[in-house]
Amino acid sequence: MGLALSVRELVVEGDRGRRLLRIGALDIPAGGRVGVRGPSGAGKSTFLYAIAGLVAMKAGTVTWDDETISAMNASQRARFRRERVGMIFQDFLLFEELPALGNAALAAGYAGRAERGRIADGAAAMLAHLGLGDHADRAVDTFSGGERQRVAVARALAADPPIILADEPTASLDRAAADRLIGDLADLAETRGKTLIAVSHDATLHERMDRVIDIVDGCWTGEG
Amino acid sequence: MFAPVTDAWNSLPATAQDVLWFVILLLPPLIIGLIVTRGYRPFGLVRAMMWRYHWTNALFVTLIAISVGIGVGLIAQERGLRKGTARAAEKFDLIVAAPGSEVQMLMAAVYLQPVDVPLIDGQTYDRIATHENVSLAAPIAYGDSYLASPVIGTTPQFVTHLAGDLVEGRMFASMGEAVAGARVPLKVGDRFVPAHGVGDAAEHDAHEGHDIVVVGKMRLTGSPWDKAILVPVEGVWAVHGLASGHAPDDAGRIGPPFDPEYFPGTPAVLVRADQLWANYALRSEFTTDKTMAFFPGAVLAGLHSMLGDVRQVMSVMAVLTQVLVTAGVLAGLVVLTRLYARRLALLRALGAPDRFVFSVVWSYAAVLIGAGAILGVAVGFAAVGAISRVVTARTDILVTATLGWPEFHLVAGFVSLTVILALTPAFMALSRNIVTDLRA
Repeated sequence: MGLALSVRELVVEGDRGRRLLRIGALDIPAGGRVGVRGPSGAGKSTFLYAIAGLVAMKAGTVTWDDETISAMNASQRARFRRERVGMIFQDFLLFEELPALGNAALAAGYAGRAERGRIADGAAAMLAHLGLGDHADRAVDTFSGGERQRVAVARALAADPPIILADEPTASLDRAAADRLIGDLADLAETRGKTLIAVSHDATLHERMDRVIDIVDGCWTGEG
Repeated sequence: MFAPVTDAWNSLPATAQDVLWFVILLLPPLIIGLIVTRGYRPFGLVRAMMWRYHWTNALFVTLIAISVGIGVGLIAQERGLRKGTARAAEKFDLIVAAPGSEVQMLMAAVYLQPVDVPLIDGQTYDRIATHENVSLAAPIAYGDSYLASPVIGTTPQFVTHLAGDLVEGRMFASMGEAVAGARVPLKVGDRFVPAHGVGDAAEHDAHEGHDIVVVGKMRLTGSPWDKAILVPVEGVWAVHGLASGHAPDDAGRIGPPFDPEYFPGTPAVLVRADQLWANYALRSEFTTDKTMAFFPGAVLAGLHSMLGDVRQVMSVMAVLTQVLVTAGVLAGLVVLTRLYARRLALLRALGAPDRFVFSVVWSYAAVLIGAGAILGVAVGFAAVGAISRVVTARTDILVTATLGWPEFHLVAGFVSLTVILALTPAFMALSRNIVTDLRA
């Protein structure tokens, strides 16, 4: 089951104190599927990185269920991401020289001994679910864009995290590949009860979300 | 407190000490490796990083290999040259010559780099040759040459002492005969006319009509004597219009005993005593106002120890070069690590522990350095072989340098130091901003 997000009075500042993001109060229920949209440079990705604990927060709190990541140190936040979050990026960010399974099971390299088998099995099952089961041993540099992003989705979900954070997951894909990916992602979040927050310009993706929020000039301006 | 350890260490055989020292030098990187990678499996990613920029990585490994190879090659070469010069001198127990420079005479009589020196006369030679402790007293009369080969007048006994039995043909038995060194381009049966003098100053027609035929070949000795042509000393005297060394009623004799009355002189005499201790007695006995006696080995050792300072400078230079290489390697690693900054940021974004990311970067650096060092040893072997051949060809002193424990210790020390210092780029990789690198 997914985790619920609660953001209060969040402020993120950039270099020389320039304000990048300010969110007064935002609540997303466990298992919610939320699209985040807004103009380029409006602070959408910063919002995503903030709720992942990847950027330093100037003020406010970010809480997932009862875990307040804004109060954690860097290594505690890394542990939180490792155990609770699956991340997907616009340009896949795969290790091109590794096979699909090596990428999907990346976390097995640093997981505890007991976790390794579970992650590798999860990665293989995810690749199979996404139609890449027969290509698990192929190096990903031979894959198409759509296939690569599916490998990235398998990597995000291999450890079965309750939260999926996606940053423009379809922006590097053609329409057909993007539609397939949106379908896969939304179905997985829905059937497995994961909290999915996806930053995207893609209206097709927004249609599959429970809710779409707009961020303009670093502020949450309301529901879409 | 350390005495038992020192005693135990000293009681070990030399090889065991070398092996242990090698292992001790490699321990720090091994221990760091175990600590850094404990519980993780970074090597799949390290392999991927290797392959990602394989040409860059290969170039990096090659640069380390070449510098390590040249460093160990030079040190090994210096040792090989010392051993080679010592081996070339080992048949020369004691040299007696007219008073002068021992080093000059060593160069002339042992390494056949002729110099003009006064001669030892017949009486003096006779005193040496008939001394009760002397088993061999051979004149070494140089001054003539044929092409690049010095022609040396001596006795059959010296030829046998120098190179043992001949590999081909027979010993010279008359004045017109010669035994050629292994690397002289003359076959048994070939004829030649010696020139007076050596090198550019040689007078090629001075000995016209004094044909010499090669009747035997010596085995390879690994010394400049391999390029020499040995003739009866009587022949050298004869072509210079001097007496034959023997009384008229003994004319035609080759080799000792010589008659002091008819002995024209020789620049040097090789003396071999029947007992080792007797060499010392002979040396003091023949150190007079008319003669100087010296052990070529001792003069050489003196030269080597004087050159020891140079050797130390060379060793320091080799180490300094390695330190510079290390600095270059580290700078290169920082740059290389930046190539992977985005992937490393990804790992951290996914929640990989810092120590895992650290272990990936450090292992990557360690693999590059280790591969470079191993390849460097191979380069060192090749370099030593090539330089040895050149030095051997140039000096006629057989140099068979090969990498030994000092070189392996140097390489181990280099690996150890560099791999420890490679912790720095690994730390630097962790200090980077994740989001900045992700967006790069």
